[in-house]
Amino acid sequence: MTTSDAPTAICRAPRCAPPWRLPAIVLLIGVAAWWLMPEQLGLLTRIAFMALLVLSLDLVVGVAGLATLGHTALFGIGAYAAGIFALRVHPDPTLGLLMGTAAGAVLAAASGAFLLRYSGFTFLMLTIAVAQITASLAQKARDWTGGDDGLSGFTMAPLFGRFAFDMEGRTAALYALGVLVVGLYVARRVVDSPFGLAVRGIHENRARMAALGTPVIARLLAMYTLAGALAGAAGAVSAQTSAIVGLDSLSFAVSAEALVMLILGGAGRLHGALIGAVVFTLLHHTASSINPYHWLFVVGAALMLVVLVPPRKAWDRLRARFAFLGGKASASARETA
Amino acid sequence: MTRLIRKAASLAAAASLAFTAFGAIAQTVKVGIIGPFSGPFAHYGTLFKNGAEAYIASQGGKLAGKDVELIYRDTGGPNPGQTKTLVQELIVKDKVDYLGGFVFTPNAFAVAPLIQQSQTPTVIFNAATSAITDKSEFFIRTSYTLWQVTVPLAQWAAKNHIKKVVTAVTDYGPGIDAETAWKSEFTKQGGTVVESIRMPISTADFAPFVQRIKASGAQAVYTFLPGGPPNLGFVKAYNENGLAKAGIQFLGTAETDEFDLQKFGDAALGLTTAFHYSAAHDAPANKKFIEALKKRDPNAVANYASVGAWDGMYVIHKMIEATDGKKDGLKAIAAARSLQWESPRGPVRIDPKTRHIVQNVYLRKVEKVGGLLVNKEVQSFGPQIDYGLDR
Amino acid sequence: MQLLANVLIDGLAYGMVLFIIAAGLSVTLGLMRFVNLSHGAFAMIGGYLAAMLTREAQWSFWLALPLAVVATGALGALLEALVLRHLYRRSELDQVLFTIGLTFFLIAATNALAGPQVQLIVLPPFLAQSVDLGFRTLPVQRLFVIGVGLLVAVVAAFAVTRTRFGVWLRAAVDHAETAATLGVPVRTVQCACFAIGAALAGLGGVLGAELMPLEPYYALKYLVLVLVVVAVGGMGSLLGSLVAGITLGIVETASKYLASEWGSLFFFLAMAVLLAWRPQGLLRRGAA
Repeated sequence: MTTSDAPTAICRAPRCAPPWRLPAIVLLIGVAAWWLMPEQLGLLTRIAFMALLVLSLDLVVGVAGLATLGHTALFGIGAYAAGIFALRVHPDPTLGLLMGTAAGAVLAAASGAFLLRYSGFTFLMLTIAVAQITASLAQKARDWTGGDDGLSGFTMAPLFGRFAFDMEGRTAALYALGVLVVGLYVARRVVDSPFGLAVRGIHENRARMAALGTPVIARLLAMYTLAGALAGAAGAVSAQTSAIVGLDSLSFAVSAEALVMLILGGAGRLHGALIGAVVFTLLHHTASSINPYHWLFVVGAALMLVVLVPPRKAWDRLRARFAFLGGKASASARETA
Repeated sequence: MTRLIRKAASLAAAASLAFTAFGAIAQTVKVGIIGPFSGPFAHYGTLFKNGAEAYIASQGGKLAGKDVELIYRDTGGPNPGQTKTLVQELIVKDKVDYLGGFVFTPNAFAVAPLIQQSQTPTVIFNAATSAITDKSEFFIRTSYTLWQVTVPLAQWAAKNHIKKVVTAVTDYGPGIDAETAWKSEFTKQGGTVVESIRMPISTADFAPFVQRIKASGAQAVYTFLPGGPPNLGFVKAYNENGLAKAGIQFLGTAETDEFDLQKFGDAALGLTTAFHYSAAHDAPANKKFIEALKKRDPNAVANYASVGAWDGMYVIHKMIEATDGKKDGLKAIAAARSLQWESPRGPVRIDPKTRHIVQNVYLRKVEKVGGLLVNKEVQSFGPQIDYGLDR
Repeated sequence: MQLLANVLIDGLAYGMVLFIIAAGLSVTLGLMRFVNLSHGAFAMIGGYLAAMLTREAQWSFWLALPLAVVATGALGALLEALVLRHLYRRSELDQVLFTIGLTFFLIAATNALAGPQVQLIVLPPFLAQSVDLGFRTLPVQRLFVIGVGLLVAVVAAFAVTRTRFGVWLRAAVDHAETAATLGVPVRTVQCACFAIGAALAGLGGVLGAELMPLEPYYALKYLVLVLVVVAVGGMGSLLGSLVAGITLGIVETASKYLASEWGSLFFFLAMAVLLAWRPQGLLRRGAA
């Protein structure tokens, strides 16, 4: 690292790629998939909003370093908010999306204010409590949420007044992809900003950041709220594209699966969240259609493998092996968490 | 290079011609079967599979002269979002002609707009909430509804000097239907419902609820729970906590289902239920059904889910016949509306107005026959319609 | 009055089952700092073994129970020695993920071997009968569970505080290196500890089979409940797990009696309140 190129030398831990690069790549791949696989659009839509959910989880787990198993509450409340809004107020998708995002943000801010006083195992257990309480409330409020039967009976109005949600799912897939790309851009900007760096700093060493004068809880709460907004958006998209919201969107399984997807892809760098979501959802889809009973063998083995041979290590090892192909390899091999 | 391309192109053309020709001759009708094949309700998936495939085998492997391909999709449990994605794929990618299955109400609700838009006739093998068939004109049901089996039971109870009843149902669509149906009919007949208990669907320990039932002072408990672990747990709790001895009669519907019946042991003797199918139903059609099942798999269980699949495939068979194997949803439904046949459960027909099966409901008591527990049909209430849609 | 008695008895039985399963997890989590989320799978395996032995092999319950418990303990020891010990130095997240992967694998294996239906354990006539206590009739099995729970608590407390093994255990936890230099066989202690935890989980699985039905997803479904008991009770504190188990068991049972439409809301609310009040648990480590 030479001192003469000072501006570029600042970039050590987080990469300083232009913030629009990753969203643009995702957009390209997504549209290509949409074009080439017109019969798999339901799956594509699901991958898109799951990726957004895992992305929001990455902000909390990977960037802020808060292990949570209650993220489903933020997703579910976004879904129900969008669903109830479409059913009772107005079926316009963009308004519903805003409602869902807002609901997720509000719940994140409210629960975060309580949760962030704790850390470690206590924090983890309390996130589970918050999620389960939300699920119980949703089940009790049958008149609003449909309880165990789910919230259904609403039809979404055409997107922007022009594009109707068709049966093949063309509009839905592009809509979900669009929301993912926008969310990704926002996440990228935030994470690469000084605020994002501060949060990363808090992850690495809370005491030191506090000694530097950073209002730790306030920063974490802001990040948690942003993550809640993105998770709420993902929930809203899931509700609008499937026109039904079930209690399964508030189940513990969603939190656990999202965490698994995140770790499989690699936490902390945003693109890991996307990779994990894509790989896991595709695996689940293929394994379930081949043999629904034995899907858990696959994911269980994958998880154990990932821990024993972490993807980043494997990735770095692969890169080192092929270092002769490009000079970047040695630099990224030195890249720290 | 160009020669290679030309060769490849002609090969491809020939291959595609061959495929279309082949396709035209062996016209396969595709039926998507939606159900849980994993998780705690996975037995439903196996029951559907056995019932459906046994039916096709009993017809000689083809229905109305056409090959039938069954495509199974796993919903895991009540999972409406996932179900919708799976059905969307079945309709758009696999281009299924018919759909069958459905154990859980929310899953059925979720696919209503899809089947309506694509005009895919969908036969419900199990889900029991009355409102389902209202959601789309392409739903036909060969299972039952809670109103259908509860109304005659309530009438029987009132006639048999039972005045005070407590209802205990699982807190979801069919359970609430059951509670509403009982309350409405039983109070109409002059009885009183002293308490209505709703149990969360995830309950594993039923002792608290059973204690509440005991404390309610009722003469009988009317109950409905989904098949599988909840069912098993409740009946065991009923037995273990001495409710029968305390004089509280058990009035149920699907709780003594053949799938779990043997597990209750002698404690289940005497339990009274009203339902549309018993494996002990004495009729040639039922014997044929059980034989066909056992031929496929000696461990197969004949119960309301496998008979729902069997009769469901019969309806699909007739729809294929009526449309000559081509996809024509409106024609198929029109033909299905007027169906009438002798099912393993008894004489049945499809109600043209509601597209729900009209069938005999029987009063049964659990008895021991030949060392095994069976649901002995004590009385037939005659053909019953879906009262839930009549209101 | 009857209601109070009902809530206490059922709550106590439920709480005892939670305690017995949670005891093992509290031990491995608190005393060994190892996040073992496959603990639920041990409970499941113990239950399944007992079910197989009593149903298929027609063994007596009184023989099947100890054998299932010992076998689960042996399986735990094997797993620990071969696989899990390599994870002690890894981060918590790695431990969580590996053990969750292991749990998924075991669920799929159970499904493949035994099918998805609920497994029933054939109880001996002594336990299957119902006893009339005057104000209510309840299955003897419930009283048996309460009894065994108390026995486990007493024996565990005695073992940790009064025996040499207990001393070794606490030393190994406080500072493994120093303990090793003093001649404490740290590896053996860790392995034995894990095995006993697994055996206890198996015991809980067998005893709790009436309250928590044995089916392949058992390992995940009840893991959350057990984690809650450990968190509220305090990692490493057996007495804490006992108190937490009983308290939460009674809260859950009371809510089932009085407000069943609210589901598990009160259980988790109680948990949140207790954790907020005592973030490290009711009784922190060492208070066994």
